[in-house]
Amino acid sequence: MFRFKTLVVLIAVVAMILPACQPAAPKAGLKCAPNCEYKDLVVGFLQTGSEGGWRAANTASFKETADQLGLKLKFYDSQNDLAKQVAGFNQFIQDPEVNVIVLAALETTGWEDVLKQAKDAGKIVVIEDRRIDASEDLYATYIGSDFAEEGRKSADEMCKLLEGMEGKNVWELVGNVGSSAAKDRGQGFREKMGACGIEVTKSQTANWSITEGKQVTEAWLKETQDVQGIFAQNDEMGLGAIEALKEAGLTPGVDVKILSVDATAGAFKAMLAGDLNVTVECNPLLAPQVYEAALKAANGETLPKWVPSQEGVFRSDDPNLQTVTDGRKY
Amino acid sequence: MMRSKLSGIWRKAEQSKLFFPLLALAIILLFDLITVPGFFNIQIRNGNLYGSLVDIFRNASVVMLLAIGMTLVIATGGIDLSVGAVMAIAASVAALLMNPYVLATELPPNLMKLINDPNFTYQPLWVVLLVTLLVSILCGLWNGLLVAYIRIQPMVATLILMIAGRGIAQLITNGVRIQIFYQPYAFIGQGWIVLPFSLYLVAFVYALAWLLTRRTAIGLFIESVGINFRSSYFSGIDEKKVKLLAYAFCGLCAGIAGLVASSNIKTSDAFNLGQTLELDAILAVVIGGTLMSGGRFSLLASLIGVLIIQAITTSMYAFGVPAFALQAIKSVVVIFVILLYSEQVKVLVRKLTTQKEA
Repeated sequence: MFRFKTLVVLIAVVAMILPACQPAAPKAGLKCAPNCEYKDLVVGFLQTGSEGGWRAANTASFKETADQLGLKLKFYDSQNDLAKQVAGFNQFIQDPEVNVIVLAALETTGWEDVLKQAKDAGKIVVIEDRRIDASEDLYATYIGSDFAEEGRKSADEMCKLLEGMEGKNVWELVGNVGSSAAKDRGQGFREKMGACGIEVTKSQTANWSITEGKQVTEAWLKETQDVQGIFAQNDEMGLGAIEALKEAGLTPGVDVKILSVDATAGAFKAMLAGDLNVTVECNPLLAPQVYEAALKAANGETLPKWVPSQEGVFRSDDPNLQTVTDGRKY
Repeated sequence: MMRSKLSGIWRKAEQSKLFFPLLALAIILLFDLITVPGFFNIQIRNGNLYGSLVDIFRNASVVMLLAIGMTLVIATGGIDLSVGAVMAIAASVAALLMNPYVLATELPPNLMKLINDPNFTYQPLWVVLLVTLLVSILCGLWNGLLVAYIRIQPMVATLILMIAGRGIAQLITNGVRIQIFYQPYAFIGQGWIVLPFSLYLVAFVYALAWLLTRRTAIGLFIESVGINFRSSYFSGIDEKKVKLLAYAFCGLCAGIAGLVASSNIKTSDAFNLGQTLELDAILAVVIGGTLMSGGRFSLLASLIGVLIIQAITTSMYAFGVPAFALQAIKSVVVIFVILLYSEQVKVLVRKLTTQKEA
């Protein structure tokens, strides 16, 4: 028992002394500033996990771009577990080699303490994909999609698709209730849909999945077929809706215009087949932008606190669709 | 006289395992009949039946397959939490056998042409199905081994595969979602012969389970093991083998369910496929009236349990319940259904009917 107590005291003392030993953190940037290059960066990347196609493309982007730029990447898979992610964050803070930490956060809140520690240890933190609620001076910048803008773009595109039609009834397939992507995409769509008289007559969650997208749409179709457009908040749900329409004897893309968000490989395949009209991109290939921002921060530059990722819109009537599709990575 | 006869019929019906599940289903469908116009319309489109009722059956088919296996496991006094994960493993194995190029380091030069060819598959369909189902049975045997021979509590034993299985499935596919382009495979989940093909699969598996349990002594063995495995052992039943068989059969059912689900979405979605479906299957068995402590079971009642769950979901969509309220309302309906045949309510109903008689 005595030994155990001594051990505890010893650990407590060491824990108190250790932070004091660390060198004072530089004000801004790294030691190599202002001439840092990509090869000076050692990036610790905390990914959320591997839940789907988008995430896989996001991870691949970080690994590939790191190789291309010649910087060192340490990858940590949090497996959708917040405790693991925080542990990984602490591991990177302790790691003397790592000077940049990239975080795709599982939760929006609760990051203040670790961010402070990272700052004290002189690490540059870049937030990617998922926004967090923390004081802005604790991290260099946030790089991610503007979900509301995706919603607004979707509404504009839907307006173009439904031009000249008498009824403008649109059904909406919503992602996971409560997720920021679902909330903001829906909100953005509603902001702009009034411009051309679109009315959302039905809206239901299909939890980002093909199966549920199909189930919800087929249940609606039994009730009424007075629908001119379907706005699916991701590609998978849109693909489900396409299946349901086909079974009901309607021609997706012609009888009912379909628009989805994400622009994954499945969406391009559906567009080539003429089933899907438009897909609004939600870009997972964020690594080039993230690394660039990290380099700038390393050289002591101050960055805007939010850099929206570059995103486009793809339409099935684009004559170059096949070439665009072949050039896509995900 | 008339009245006493009626109450006699009531009492007899009430004793049947199927009565309360059927009553619950009827109430839900009655609700649909009143509130959702055209819910019972069935048309013929392209030679196939088309309507909400057909949707309910088709969308229920995956959980029906799970529920058949789950009924047998629960009847032995066990539980299998790993069926969702086994579905993911089955889907991953099948997808990999059809399209292994996703993982190859060197791609064949004509890859795009191969992938866009609906008749392209790396292994013939029968190999794909056979290997997938063997792997699923293996998963079931593993569960059975842990429960029957190593004597780990069923919930803990199958929890292992529930957690690890999804990891294994992602390892098999290297964390990639493999798309399936082979058209004949898609027929398993999406094909129609007047009725959806998946329903014929359900009928086949049901018939198999029925023959196995009601035309041989195995059904009795399962029930006796579930009621008291020690006395079963002393009366000469090899309870370990009975349990092993039940879990292996449950694994097989989960494998078939995995085939149907993955062919529905044409990918091996190792992360999402079958997620939380084990809970739906267990709920269906409970709604079907099989006790969680094991013993007497009814396969048909479990299937009706699945239909009840699916009918609730489909009617919620048709009725236009807002997205955020969906789960809560579903749970209220489920509570209502289970209350319907709790012992207390039964006693109450019996009192009411005898009062009428007086």
